[in-house]
Amino acid sequence: METYIPDYMLSAFSAQGIDTSKLIYAIHTDSADKDGYSDVYIAVSRENMYVLYGEEKVVKTTGARRIVAVYDAKELEIYPLSELGELTCERLLSTGRLCSEKDDKTSILLVFSIGFLADIERLIKVVQNIRKGAEPLSDVRIDEELFCPKCGTRYPEPERRLCLKCMDKVSITRRLMSFFVHYRKKVAVIFIAMLLGSIFSMISPLVGTKFFFDEVLREDGSYYGAILGAVCLIFLVRVIGVALNIFYSYVLARTVPWIVQDLKLKIFEAMQRLSVGFYTSKRTGNLMNRINQDANNIYWFFVDGLPYVIVNVFTFIGVLILMCMLNIKLALVSLLIIPITIIFFRILWSVFRHFHHKNWVYSSQLNSMLSDSVNGQRVIKAFAREDAETKRFADVSYKQAVVDINATNTGYTAFPLIYLFMFLGQVIVTALGGTMVLEGEITIGTLLTFIAYLSMLYGPLEFMSWVSNWWARCVDSAQRVFEIIDAKPDVTEPDEPIILDRIKGNIELKGVTFEYDPATPVLKGLDLSVKAGQMLGIVGKTGAGKSTMANLIARLYDVNEGSITIDGVNVKQLSLKQLRQSIGIVSQDIYLFIGTIADNIRYARPDASIEDVIRAAKAASAHDFIMALPDAYETKVGAGGQDLSGGEKQRLSIARTILQDPDILILDEATAAMDTETEASIQKALSELQRDRTTLAIAHRLSTLRDADTLAVISDGKVVESGTHKELMQKKGEYHKLYKIQLEGLKVINMDA
Amino acid sequence: METAIQKDTHSLANAIDIGMLDLKNAEFYVTLGGFTGLKYVGQDYNRITLRRAFPIGNPMEYISVADKDNKEIGMIRSLADLSDKQYSIVLAELEKRYYSPTVYEIRSVKDKLGYVYMELIIGREDSRYKKNCALKDVNKNIRMLDDDRLVITDVDGNRYIVESLSGLDKKSLKRLEPYLF
Repeated sequence: METYIPDYMLSAFSAQGIDTSKLIYAIHTDSADKDGYSDVYIAVSRENMYVLYGEEKVVKTTGARRIVAVYDAKELEIYPLSELGELTCERLLSTGRLCSEKDDKTSILLVFSIGFLADIERLIKVVQNIRKGAEPLSDVRIDEELFCPKCGTRYPEPERRLCLKCMDKVSITRRLMSFFVHYRKKVAVIFIAMLLGSIFSMISPLVGTKFFFDEVLREDGSYYGAILGAVCLIFLVRVIGVALNIFYSYVLARTVPWIVQDLKLKIFEAMQRLSVGFYTSKRTGNLMNRINQDANNIYWFFVDGLPYVIVNVFTFIGVLILMCMLNIKLALVSLLIIPITIIFFRILWSVFRHFHHKNWVYSSQLNSMLSDSVNGQRVIKAFAREDAETKRFADVSYKQAVVDINATNTGYTAFPLIYLFMFLGQVIVTALGGTMVLEGEITIGTLLTFIAYLSMLYGPLEFMSWVSNWWARCVDSAQRVFEIIDAKPDVTEPDEPIILDRIKGNIELKGVTFEYDPATPVLKGLDLSVKAGQMLGIVGKTGAGKSTMANLIARLYDVNEGSITIDGVNVKQLSLKQLRQSIGIVSQDIYLFIGTIADNIRYARPDASIEDVIRAAKAASAHDFIMALPDAYETKVGAGGQDLSGGEKQRLSIARTILQDPDILILDEATAAMDTETEASIQKALSELQRDRTTLAIAHRLSTLRDADTLAVISDGKVVESGTHKELMQKKGEYHKLYKIQLEGLKVINMDA
Repeated sequence: METAIQKDTHSLANAIDIGMLDLKNAEFYVTLGGFTGLKYVGQDYNRITLRRAFPIGNPMEYISVADKDNKEIGMIRSLADLSDKQYSIVLAELEKRYYSPTVYEIRSVKDKLGYVYMELIIGREDSRYKKNCALKDVNKNIRMLDDDRLVITDVDGNRYIVESLSGLDKKSLKRLEPYLF
């Protein structure tokens, strides 16, 4: 028998004298109702549920786990499973309640933070499994690690296992570098060219100043008077330096875009693989940004940032060595100025970051206001709120202006001051060096070369004081990108998918339970079946779980409990490709891709002939409106294309499904947003589509379902009634009620008319 | 795996009649007023509308024939199926409907505040004239029809065809290039 009890809980329970060998499952949660806050460990055995209240203290240790939890137990409650009622979990605003229901009495066992909902639900599932006599941990997801092993912080997303605090920037950069492996020859060439370029920049003062002053202009110099030769040499050194710079920039600009393209393609491929759930979860809010913005951040860092980092670090070290070689005393004086300059720059950049962040916040506020105002103009005008909106905009815009002024002023004041400070350093070196020249300790050439080197030091200093932020931003972008690449789809193809010769269309849902968020089940043990070739009408209020059911049949999501079978085979075992090709969904949300009308109709069957496309359009009552467009079937639709009305788009989506020719058809409120006339025409097209195939029609308007063989009324995630229209009317239950309400509504319209 | 998924059942779309005209019983003619009419299965439609289902990629096939209220009478699968006389009547009507002046030269293109102003030399081979036009939303209104053909739609809805991009003079092509997507 499989068990799951983390080690640290095992010791806590064993300290209470509990026989831990009998424990099956344990979770860590909290509680706020027993004398303040407690860390709660709950464990279950076949006989009992143990609830241990106490306090978890974090103690620092040495070794691999830098932090360990020490548990100070305070109270133990033991609930024999035989006496405990049915466990349920209730979701409140920021807390949840674990309750026990027995003999119509409900008692609260524990109030916990909402974050532990999923854990509590798993615990309930284990208890249910034990009571049923099933394998206790079947269908229970075990999270070995919910907390960062390094710092003990809970992972923001359990499936991500990413601790933002301990994010390993170096390993991310290393992984990013792995994209360069294909281009290693080019990278090597770039690197060598960069180093050579830096060397030539560094020797330029030696040749241009020291050599020229000491060897050419002085009478005792080895090349005294050879001015033309010296100037040519100075020029040559500079030309080689510039040529090397141009060369590496050129090769770099020809390499990095390909790497970024690889990266973008990898993200896009990963996105196609992911399940619908990934797209609907909050953390994907800005997917478009991830592909474009993040990839560009990485691009610019590698094109603009990294080369300069290498060049600057190399120059900095090289110049320091050269300075020490020229004169150690002057070099030490210069070194004193360096750390102070770095501190100044760092302070300045942190001030700027603060201003930039504020500016960014205000500009995003302004952007949302702008989009609000553009999209909501009708409402703004209808409520005469123009002035109020202008004021709202002006307030934020004023704040942004103030931040801008402060940022600009800080820049204008602080930079000259820092440069002045740097100049002061140069003045000190000049004074000291001048004295040394007068005393004959060094030559004038050495002094001038030294000053030239000193000024070469400030560029890298300034750059390195802020490049770390740039690097951090690049790593952050890379992290987000890798997160998509690494994300595991929730719905996966089975290892050995079953491919049926032909899908007949017998659908059966048994005890289906599903929730998008923990403890808020949308479907609660739903049972339903449709025979091949029949039409099942599904009726219910908004939010009853009708569309969810359609999504589950098409396996856009997987059920939490229960099973869905098609022709007796669980959908989880069927080949995803066959399943999706066999199910056609016509829903209220229609999406047309960028392309021609014909391309959109052909979406499910790109090889369909022109005649097939026209036939499908005719069947969907779309041919007439298509022919009225100047480019007919070749009219561009989708983003930036011809605008089509909702009804027209819907008819195209029906034509698409007709061409797909699915074995199972799901109509999810296909005509809900249509006017009566359009609905009538679409209904005609739909009845064409429904003929001889299993159809699940979900609708608000009962009139839409008049052709259904059976009807099922869904309420609160369950089927409350099912039967034919006649049977349900005789039953005088939910369906009868809904029917009456809609009939009354129609009567009112007739009376008014 | 692919073959297993292929369906052997009848395709739903195939079950629907595409409504092709029986050309043996169809007679296109030109009315005294210059309109095109059709005599078909005992009915005389004295004014018909001919529309191409694929005006760009397949202009000579799948022609919709509609009455004066735009109700479709039927479709012609291919103009090649018509007799020579019928063919010339139908083609003449189609050419009238789909006539768009050809662009021979692009004299200037100016981009101002999101609008593009063009000076074009357009017309037919034998009569060319200058036309100034304004475009908005260039990525939507300058559209490649195939690798070498292009349609420009101005703010008034006029359409101008560049029959061959490669056939344009170098200067015209250079002026147009920034707007080709």
